[in-house]
Amino acid sequence: MRSPADDFQYQPPNLLTLEGFGEALGMLRKRMAERLSPFFLDLVLVAILWVLITYGVSWIVWKEVHYSLVPTWVFLVGILETVALWESFGQSLGYRVARKTLLGESRAKPTFRQRIVYYLLFHISVFPIIGLAWKRPLHERISGLSVAHNVRGGEKPAPWYRTSSGILVALLMAAILATTFSVTIESDTWRRFLANPSKAGRIFKALVSPDFSFWQDAVFKLIETIYMAIMATLIGVLVAAPLSFFAARNLTRTPVARLFYTLIRGILSFFRSIEPIVWAIVFLVWVGPGRNPFAGFLALLIHSIADLTKLYSERLESIETGPVEAITATGGSWLSVLRYAVIPQIINPYISFSLYRWDINIRMSTIVGLVGGGGIGQLLLLLLRAQRFSQAAICVYLIAMLVWGIDTLSSRLRRYYERGRIIQEEVAEESA
Amino acid sequence: MSQPYLRFENLTKVYERGQVVALKNVSFSVEKGEFLVIIGLSGSGKSTLLRCINRLIEPSAGQIFVDGVDVTQLSSARMRRVRRKIGMIFQHFNLINRSTVLTNTLSGRLGYMSAWRSLLGLFTKEDKKLAIQNLARVGLEDKAYARADELSGGQQQRVGIARALMQNPDLLLTDEPVSALDPATSHSVMQYLEQMNQEDGVTVLASLHFLSLARRYGTRIIALKGGELMFDGSPSEIDEAKFKEIYGDEAEEVEVR
Repeated sequence: MRSPADDFQYQPPNLLTLEGFGEALGMLRKRMAERLSPFFLDLVLVAILWVLITYGVSWIVWKEVHYSLVPTWVFLVGILETVALWESFGQSLGYRVARKTLLGESRAKPTFRQRIVYYLLFHISVFPIIGLAWKRPLHERISGLSVAHNVRGGEKPAPWYRTSSGILVALLMAAILATTFSVTIESDTWRRFLANPSKAGRIFKALVSPDFSFWQDAVFKLIETIYMAIMATLIGVLVAAPLSFFAARNLTRTPVARLFYTLIRGILSFFRSIEPIVWAIVFLVWVGPGRNPFAGFLALLIHSIADLTKLYSERLESIETGPVEAITATGGSWLSVLRYAVIPQIINPYISFSLYRWDINIRMSTIVGLVGGGGIGQLLLLLLRAQRFSQAAICVYLIAMLVWGIDTLSSRLRRYYERGRIIQEEVAEESA
Repeated sequence: MSQPYLRFENLTKVYERGQVVALKNVSFSVEKGEFLVIIGLSGSGKSTLLRCINRLIEPSAGQIFVDGVDVTQLSSARMRRVRRKIGMIFQHFNLINRSTVLTNTLSGRLGYMSAWRSLLGLFTKEDKKLAIQNLARVGLEDKAYARADELSGGQQQRVGIARALMQNPDLLLTDEPVSALDPATSHSVMQYLEQMNQEDGVTVLASLHFLSLARRYGTRIIALKGGELMFDGSPSEIDEAKFKEIYGDEAEEVEVR
């Protein structure tokens, strides 16, 4: 008799329905990513190594900047061939990181012949990428090899200097050091750095003799800075906290919710990738002159929202599922699960993250001020431009004191909340 | 004859697109008031079976009738109403660590409360009284305002029992309730379950690892192997040969006293 269980043994997604089509696409994406990510890692490593060595050698030999001394197509073919050879005949870095290795039938060690076939077919299977769409790509099928999970047994792994990836990473680090030093030492900047410290002497002199009569103006601007940071953090928290629920992978499982997830994550990572200082310039142009602290506030706000949502949602993704299960099992609604199983787990980390963001916003608000975003940073900029260094010194000291103070305060508060010693909710006395 | 209280028909659960079969065509029924012990190796489908009943896990095929109602077909709103009469106790207690013992106990009433009352935490006076009574029943009334994570494992499991008691359940599912506890504490927890079974008439389904506990507390034992039902009978029927059949030839029985 055929049991229902047999019907589930193999069940390819039904391509005729939208859901099945989406699932098939997801499977394809996962499979391609699994195979392409080691390949790209190797490719990037080899490319960087090539560029760095060319750069260093050409600078040392000809005192000229060259990134690749060959035509671009030679460079491209070169790195692709290197990676193909590396992945076919050795244990490449990509494979090591993904814990994969090349194995034959029943986990046998690949023969040289098999490796050659694998290498040759690599060109028509992997390079056009499309070959990886199959569950077992052409080059694996014909050569009889497959990229399998690398199971470490009882034998001792080879030391790093006897593996190809170890040597290549060492080579990369050596190349970075060599090019950095050769390029900076050979140029004029080192000589100037050592020869004219007196040029900055006026600024250092002002630092030891600040103009104390100026403190009132400076403090006033300092308050503006603190105000900017507090407002940006507060409103940032209010927006980011609800948003984070839609940006957590484990809470967005339905197709519609997943769409929101992708959208929010995408937009926020774009916002985060642009520095607050750039945002400040954008908003300065936007809100026009005369309302500078507002521009600074907007710049901090947009970054706070993006950053906090990411931190919050990552915390949400790592909640324990046990309490969620327990509250669901009592018959509690979705809201009850959120209120009793999820929120108690995230409330303290959320507070801690918010304090940390406040700390960052205080420091950032002086930087934002430097481009004209209001507060003490802007004052500092104006004073430096007017060469009133002893007044600028007061601002520098005030900023230092503020940052130090907030840093200490927020780290203490955070430690308090991370230990989780918060006042427990009051429960009515008569029940006792 | 009236129909059994709990009935499984060809229950099947398959994970990961058919690659892992957790339950295969499991059919049996349970009468009201039984203390049914489920034994089997880790991964034999015990937890999946229990979680299919209150649909923490969705079954792939088959039916489960609780008091004549096929729960596999219920809407989520109606499922919640069924769930509140089914208590559950977990291997790792699944308490809300940062909340008080009292709040954890009270959370057993959430299925009976309106959305806004549960959201604001407005438990009624009767509920609070009941919570204190239930905590006293498991010997924890002096820990009511302690944080759940300040308690020992055995105490935490007793809070779990108090939470289940708050639901006033007809059926209690316990998923390896004593695996994380020492032998002495295990017996104390098992005795509370036995008490619920005998005094309150709650039908209990418990998955256990130790056969000695199964023999001591169970009125009936079923065994799962690889997701299939391979034994169903009274505790005295499990002898050496049956034991080896269930747990494999190399297994030795471990006594818990």
